[in-house]
Amino acid sequence: MTAPLAPEASGPTTGAPAAPSAIELVHAARWYGNVVAVNDVSFTLGAGVTGLLGPNGAGKTTLLHMLAGFLAPSAGAVRVLGRTPHRDPSVYRQIGLVPEREAVYPFLTGLEYVRFNARLQGLRNADGAARAAIVRVGLEDAMDRPTGTYSKGMRQRVKVAGSLVHDPQVLLLDEPFNGMDPRQRIAMMDLLGQLAEAGRTILFSSHVLEEVERVGTEILVMVAGRLAASGDYRAIRALMTDRPHTITLRSSDDRRLATALMRDPAVFAVELAEAGLSVQTAQLGAFRRLVAGASRSAGVRLFEVVSADESLESVFDYLVRR
Amino acid sequence: MSGNVGESSIGAIPEIARITLRQLLGRRRTLLLVLLATLPVLLAVAFRAAGETAVQPFTRRVFDTISITILLPLVAILFGSGAFGAEIDDGTIVYLLAKPLSRWAVVAGKALSAMAVAILLTVGSTALAGIIDLVPAGNDGVLATEAQALAMVVGSVCYVSLFLALSLFTRRALVIGVGYMLVWEGALSFILPGIANLSIRQYALGAAEAIYRLPLQEARLSADTAFVLAGVLVAASLAVATWRLMRFELPGGGD
Repeated sequence: MTAPLAPEASGPTTGAPAAPSAIELVHAARWYGNVVAVNDVSFTLGAGVTGLLGPNGAGKTTLLHMLAGFLAPSAGAVRVLGRTPHRDPSVYRQIGLVPEREAVYPFLTGLEYVRFNARLQGLRNADGAARAAIVRVGLEDAMDRPTGTYSKGMRQRVKVAGSLVHDPQVLLLDEPFNGMDPRQRIAMMDLLGQLAEAGRTILFSSHVLEEVERVGTEILVMVAGRLAASGDYRAIRALMTDRPHTITLRSSDDRRLATALMRDPAVFAVELAEAGLSVQTAQLGAFRRLVAGASRSAGVRLFEVVSADESLESVFDYLVRR
Repeated sequence: MSGNVGESSIGAIPEIARITLRQLLGRRRTLLLVLLATLPVLLAVAFRAAGETAVQPFTRRVFDTISITILLPLVAILFGSGAFGAEIDDGTIVYLLAKPLSRWAVVAGKALSAMAVAILLTVGSTALAGIIDLVPAGNDGVLATEAQALAMVVGSVCYVSLFLALSLFTRRALVIGVGYMLVWEGALSFILPGIANLSIRQYALGAAEAIYRLPLQEARLSADTAFVLAGVLVAASLAVATWRLMRFELPGGGD
């Protein structure tokens, strides 16, 4: 994955120098008439799993369709494994795509559908590959049933099986967890994690932040067609210096600790509440050092120090709303 | 388009054809077309029962009125426009296109299956009706049956090719097809005989002339001309369909 960027940055990023980028966008844009869906987006992705976040209309699906070769960029360049995917069907030997639309041929059984994908990929042992992919998504009990009888979550899983039957280097998934129950979601997240550990590049879009947070820490955030941020969301949060961090503390004497902390210029505000002491600071690192010394000098025992807004939700909320 | 997808593309044609066949045959409208195809057969039984086994009355009243005017274009346009149309509508087209396949192979698989179903229905109907009512008339009846069957083959291949290509440009291919059938071939061709060169119906009737001159007084093209024009139409339609599929784009979606 790329090095973290400051919010709003969208220039090409530099990953580990030795690892070639599986996905590369260079000032890529796509517009429909006067409507700009993706605007001057640049990033690179190597092996690993990355969540593509953004509110509705942010351009996530347009971005994924450009990467999958189903949309030509109006400007800039899109490269997957060093090649331009648009009008180059041979690139699909290395790409797996799970589209957002859930339709699957309803008259095919799960196994037939995945085997169909394997055969179109030209795999020699299509049946063996299909059965292995079915097992990976945990659908072996239902593989002989027509997909028309599947639940929404099962259709998502069989689509994923069809997309990874040829063991692609790059997997693109558009809202893959839609319709899955919690158990299925966890299993799918674990599968994506395993594929990432095996060196695959996985980019999935989602509007459910908990899903992204569970699968990994690397994110791309799209807002109104632009790349608002990319990288490890915790690193992005650390770069949001114009937004104070909120930290909740519990100690043996919150009032005395508040007095000690108020003396330091790194602390913006202190609030005493029943749950503990809420402190706002612009410099998280400095505050962590400060709080230890302040509690010692005030003779207060610290029980708990919790960062209240370090979550992905906090980062996303900040990037989207401001 | 990359050139190194050829080998797997040829192997994929039967797979694509098979799945398209299941799609086309699984629709309710196919059942209606089968019912329509039985109409000439039932009329042949009625003609035979009434002792009308001459070539001319059956050819004019059943083949001309129903088989080549309604059954052939309706069946072939529905299957031709539906081969891609349904997959584009429900989004399953992406499972074909996100594969290392030459686009001509995708078009070939789709076209072959749609042509096969259209030929099965139209030729089956015409041949069966001919066997019931025309073959007993002697050699003329046999030749007339063969000529009508050939017209159905040529017409099916042409209609399927044209409307398969059109379905990649517009979602209204079926409506346009029915309009073409009623207005262009139904009304204008009688008013403007010169448009025979641009009428699939005329290609089909002209092709039949290679076997037997059907008593319709309508075939305006020689068999040779009809075959050449039909060939050009099919080749151009499939080439345009391939070209279009290479440029096929999925919308960005709601987000």
